[in-house]
Amino acid sequence: MMARQFGFTALRWAAGLTLPVALLVAMQLTAGQEGMPRYVVAPTDIAATLWQLLTNGDLVGDALASISRSYSGFVLGAVFGVAIGLLSAVWRQAQAFFDPLVSTLYPVPKIALLPVIITWLGFGDVSKIVLISLAVFFPTFINTLYGARSTPVNLVWAARNMGANRFYIFWHVVLPAALPQIFTGLRSGLALSFVVLFATEMVGSHNGLGDMIIRAEEAMRYDWMYAAILTIGLLGFLSDRALLVIRRKLLANKYPGEARRT
Amino acid sequence: MAASDYLKAQGISKTFMRNNQAVVALEDFDLSIAEGEFVSIVGPSGCGKSTFLHIVGGFEPRTGGSITLAGKAVSRPGPDRGMLFQDYALFPWRTVLSNVTWALEVKGMSRAEREQRARKYIDMVGLSRFEGAYPAELSGGMKQRVALARTLVYESQILLMDEPFGALDAQTRELMQEELTDIWQADRRTVLFVTHDIEEALYLSDRVIVFTARPGRIKADIRIDLPRPRHAHIRKTPEFMNYHTQIWDMLRDEVLRTREAA
Repeated sequence: MMARQFGFTALRWAAGLTLPVALLVAMQLTAGQEGMPRYVVAPTDIAATLWQLLTNGDLVGDALASISRSYSGFVLGAVFGVAIGLLSAVWRQAQAFFDPLVSTLYPVPKIALLPVIITWLGFGDVSKIVLISLAVFFPTFINTLYGARSTPVNLVWAARNMGANRFYIFWHVVLPAALPQIFTGLRSGLALSFVVLFATEMVGSHNGLGDMIIRAEEAMRYDWMYAAILTIGLLGFLSDRALLVIRRKLLANKYPGEARRT
Repeated sequence: MAASDYLKAQGISKTFMRNNQAVVALEDFDLSIAEGEFVSIVGPSGCGKSTFLHIVGGFEPRTGGSITLAGKAVSRPGPDRGMLFQDYALFPWRTVLSNVTWALEVKGMSRAEREQRARKYIDMVGLSRFEGAYPAELSGGMKQRVALARTLVYESQILLMDEPFGALDAQTRELMQEELTDIWQADRRTVLFVTHDIEEALYLSDRVIVFTARPGRIKADIRIDLPRPRHAHIRKTPEFMNYHTQIWDMLRDEVLRTREAA
């Protein structure tokens, strides 16, 4: 049984690794060959460049600039998304107030608003952070709203039966009941914050990983470019994992359908 | 106030709109319960027995009539009427202990005091070993025992039970009925119990109220003169069987009427 399970797991790992490894090998073998475009770079060269940029500190500044923008935007968008989502769920007037604007802006790609926001707020970090927070706001808002709305009516009845007032029910029933779906919204928002971050950094920025990609392209340093892209991927992956760890700490075992491990 | 009028419902009616048509769920009836009495309502499904219980609990508005408990008019939900739901309505993000302390937290009781009181009732339903468990980790019967402890802990003037054992398997249900009887016989609280199970109503109650098919009215009010304390073997006695036949004969007509209407 154990052996079979191990064999099965190993097989699945192997299946998942086949394509990426094949791609890396192909890049390694063809890079620098006659007739190959210059953007095909040997993975070993990319790794060497990445290591060099990390150790001499060149990449750290850009990475920090990107992270601080993306996290500021994420926190801002998440706070507003959760707050307005909860408010709209329990207070019909708030829902009536926000719904038309939210419904109209939701399907608009937020990056399309960049020129407008730059006109208002300039090329600095403020417009970048505002745009990121907008992108984070929508999935957070909508998931919070529906999570809070789907609080089982019996839980609210039980709470009223035990003498709780509206305010108490809001904090101690509606908010915890919405928590799993709030995290679903935050996770989508986090992914979008990275997408929008790099788009904003590619326009009129002086630092950040998005800007680094543009600089690398102008200098025809495709190894830098891949190093920047790899860093982006790694940061996104680690942020997502961190969010999942927090989610698990808060939700595991307590919510039906919430597994012990992810 | 007469002793038999501890809970007094007068002229209760309930009409609701469905597809622009008025549906009469409950039609003008009176019901009085004495302090310390265990009263069950049986009736065909859809007869409005749960609706009546929800009206007494204050969860659903009534169209007409008045309800008093110990001489005081009641309308909104409150901890003077402890409610037990069929689907337990436990807070999934809270442990057994902190589910049971919930109502005492609302009251603002100190942690030490409320945990001490909660443990008394958790012990009474035999779940002391599980006070740190979350509802998702418990079986249906255990969940309903937690819900019972959670309702008993705030020592309401009357207990309202809405088919509390309806979701349990037959064996668990029978054991739960015996446990409830044991607990009830120890301190004789006033109970209004809704079920569609004649045997359950008989085993538990001092009085069984038979409801008609919709619109719900009282068809019969039967005093159950079976000795107390009751134990499982009473189910096999001829007196028990006689009551069962008598109630089933009345109920059968109503169930058939429901079927004809459908």
